[in-house]
Amino acid sequence: MSRLDRSRTIMRRWLTPVQDGWLDVGVATVFVVLYTAALLLSVDDLGYARDEGFYFHAARRYQAWFQLLWADSAAAFAVVDSYWNTNAEHPALIKSLFALSHGLLWDAGPRFAMEGTSFRFPAIVLSSVGVGLVYLWGSRASGRLAGVVAAVSLAAMPRFFYHAHLACFDAPVVTMWTLCAYCWWRSLQRGGWWWPLIVGVSFGLALNTKHNAWFLPIVCSLHAALALLPRASRGLQRKVLLRRSLASLVAMATIGPLLFVATWPWLWHDTLGRVQAYAKFHLLHVYYNMEFLGDNYWKPPMPRGYAFVMTAATVPVVTLACFVVGMVGRVRRDVLPIFSRAFASNTERSRIDGATTVLWLGAIGVQYAAWLLPTTPIFGGTKHWMTAYPFLVLFAGSGVLLAVRRARTSWLRVGHLDRLVAGSSALELAVAAAVLIAPVVETAHAHPWALSSYSPLVGGASGGANLGLNRGFWGYQTGAITSYLDGRVPDRGKVFIHDTAYSAWDMLQRDGRLRKDVRGVLDAAAADVAIYHHEKHMLGVEYQAWMLYGTQRPDHVAGIDGVPVIWTYFNER
Amino acid sequence: MRPMLRRYGLLALPAIGLMELAAHLFFAARAPAFDEYPALAAPVAAMRQPGDLVVMTPAWAEPLARRAVGDSLMPLRDVARPSESGYEGVVEVSMLGQRDEAFNDWSEVERREVGDFTLRRMVNHGHEPEVFDFVDALDPRAVRVSVGDARCMWTTAARASAGGLGGPPAFPRRRFVCPGSPFFFVGVTVIADQDFRARRCLWAHPPNGAELRIRYRNVSLGDTIVGHGGMYWITERERRGTPIGMRVEVNGSPIGQVTHADGDGWSRFELPVGEHAGSDGAEVVFAVSSVNAEHRHFCFEARSR
Repeated sequence: MSRLDRSRTIMRRWLTPVQDGWLDVGVATVFVVLYTAALLLSVDDLGYARDEGFYFHAARRYQAWFQLLWADSAAAFAVVDSYWNTNAEHPALIKSLFALSHGLLWDAGPRFAMEGTSFRFPAIVLSSVGVGLVYLWGSRASGRLAGVVAAVSLAAMPRFFYHAHLACFDAPVVTMWTLCAYCWWRSLQRGGWWWPLIVGVSFGLALNTKHNAWFLPIVCSLHAALALLPRASRGLQRKVLLRRSLASLVAMATIGPLLFVATWPWLWHDTLGRVQAYAKFHLLHVYYNMEFLGDNYWKPPMPRGYAFVMTAATVPVVTLACFVVGMVGRVRRDVLPIFSRAFASNTERSRIDGATTVLWLGAIGVQYAAWLLPTTPIFGGTKHWMTAYPFLVLFAGSGVLLAVRRARTSWLRVGHLDRLVAGSSALELAVAAAVLIAPVVETAHAHPWALSSYSPLVGGASGGANLGLNRGFWGYQTGAITSYLDGRVPDRGKVFIHDTAYSAWDMLQRDGRLRKDVRGVLDAAAADVAIYHHEKHMLGVEYQAWMLYGTQRPDHVAGIDGVPVIWTYFNER
Repeated sequence: MRPMLRRYGLLALPAIGLMELAAHLFFAARAPAFDEYPALAAPVAAMRQPGDLVVMTPAWAEPLARRAVGDSLMPLRDVARPSESGYEGVVEVSMLGQRDEAFNDWSEVERREVGDFTLRRMVNHGHEPEVFDFVDALDPRAVRVSVGDARCMWTTAARASAGGLGGPPAFPRRRFVCPGSPFFFVGVTVIADQDFRARRCLWAHPPNGAELRIRYRNVSLGDTIVGHGGMYWITERERRGTPIGMRVEVNGSPIGQVTHADGDGWSRFELPVGEHAGSDGAEVVFAVSSVNAEHRHFCFEARSR
């Protein structure tokens, strides 16, 4: 076999879309298993975020209902509202999984080391499925190298890694959103009745995961319309594309809402009124405070650049660079021909492509577009556009693949370079390693402070602090000082828990991470130790501790890379 | 150019990745570690002159500096200062090559390096000596507080409390307690201003339909009474309350009126004392009122210069 032939074999293996087969499903499964293992191994370090506390409580209520359903189904259906009215402002699917996991993997079965992990486990697995799914889509749409780079790039985003641990909806909805979009993409390519059915089901599950799912029909409809434009899709007749799009859209419109209602018992009564109340809660959501570039924002509009700057400041730089290369390359190849006949002749037409690039662009665009609206509520941080990240890394994977393919083609013609590319996959492995090592190291380093970490683009954590970027959220940091609290708080002493929810504090104690005799209180005056979770708008709470305890000297400070994130005051009385 | 780009352009992405790794390692170790701060205590104490302010630059590292040098070198009066103008000197502890712009016009008189920190002592040539601080002087022996005909009683054993997240500032144990709501008292507390900076001040919540009068006896006066007033920013940023008026009288004669409207933030006032300038033993009254007392968490500080 000639060097050229060997190189072509390697290109087929790594750099060409693999549209069918189970091998890549198997590789995706390996990603799921490995990421699940990584999350489980690191979960013990992570304190409980404020919202997790609320979901623990909700999950316990739902678990009680499931137990009643098992024991006496008629009685369970008679008392649906009294159980499911808990935390009814958020959909039930993921909390139901928390409940089932807690029931099976803590109350009734083999146990994790900590009770909180049994609640977190479904979100951990779902987050990992998201990583595997990104590999699968990357390999199907671009090639295995792209899939690997995309999957690891998503897994090694410090903030995604953080959210992937939590008993919350933010990481699960990344997976559900991507799953629905992937199924939609496959439905356009493959036709038949199976894929539209899965599109409908995945949309229903996404709806019952988090309200980000509301964007899916917009993206899919827009994608269908654009895919029908001349030269937008390769290897597909427009009437076939139209039929397949309509089939999936109809499935989304019918199966989606039905499944949404069917899997959320709260909606079984007064369905329309409760759906309206749910929508209203999120459309008119209370505004939270958020520090951005030194200013505290607490009412709309946020600066238009907020989501973009925060993405640049928190996503590894090399991932963004690969994204730009991939996006530009794919847009040149796939999108510009729609508008220019001149490009049509350059377009590779040998394989089926239902306007993949347009779909990915739409998926990213719709997430970020919301942050350009003057009325979008600010009730969180980077997690709110995290659903765009799978598509961002899919482009990043394409970018790496594009660069490697060009190099391989080009270097084969150069005498001293052809040895590097012919006959082995060393080039692919080396490039993948070089673009992935920094994100992996940054993510490992950021744990468990990922919500306070920033990329080298802004100078890391200290650069973020210098710029006045938000340093904490949800009181998640308490988990990092439990050893200090155990050693410092007097017997049966009290701790002012600040932004930590009672139920999150309670879980730290149930886990055995915190002495059980230490009481969490919300009255700093009555406490022996006051915790302060730093956020700019919360500084007033720190000043309260100064006055109450007669000292400005923190008793303990913890944080990342020399930047304080959480500190405490001791009440000498 | 294009063939070169096509041939070697690939190297850009791995190069960015490796440069990012190097940058990450650099930035992760750039700021001093927490355990480097205790070394500051002795050098700061040696450099600081009586009355000097001690500040940390960048401000986000201040909790670490406070922990290292303690309350004696960074007391509440300094940490929650109304402004820098009243200080004759400052010891600035800085790192990462940063400097506090508030001291740009001050003259550096001493400098030394301590590990990754730079210590500078600077003096303020525009310093205006203070002759009386009304916050420091809040004492039942020299101050009388009343609401209408009712006198507010001094106590050192009131229930200290604080509003927690989103709640009002701390209510101190030592305070003049006025009739009505627990919010009606006069005492020293700390509020967060519009930039969420700490400001030590006298809580002077006006009561409903009456005037809160804070009367100081035996006040030494300079030429003016200067001060600042404001409310905990989260309270006033909604801009829903009625304006707060504070009339200042010296020896029974009004010398000026300060009006604070929601949204003004921590704002400065300066009132010349006129013919009373330089007098000892003056009586100064701060009379605070508002048409509607709801959420009028007014807090002020004043000094005579």
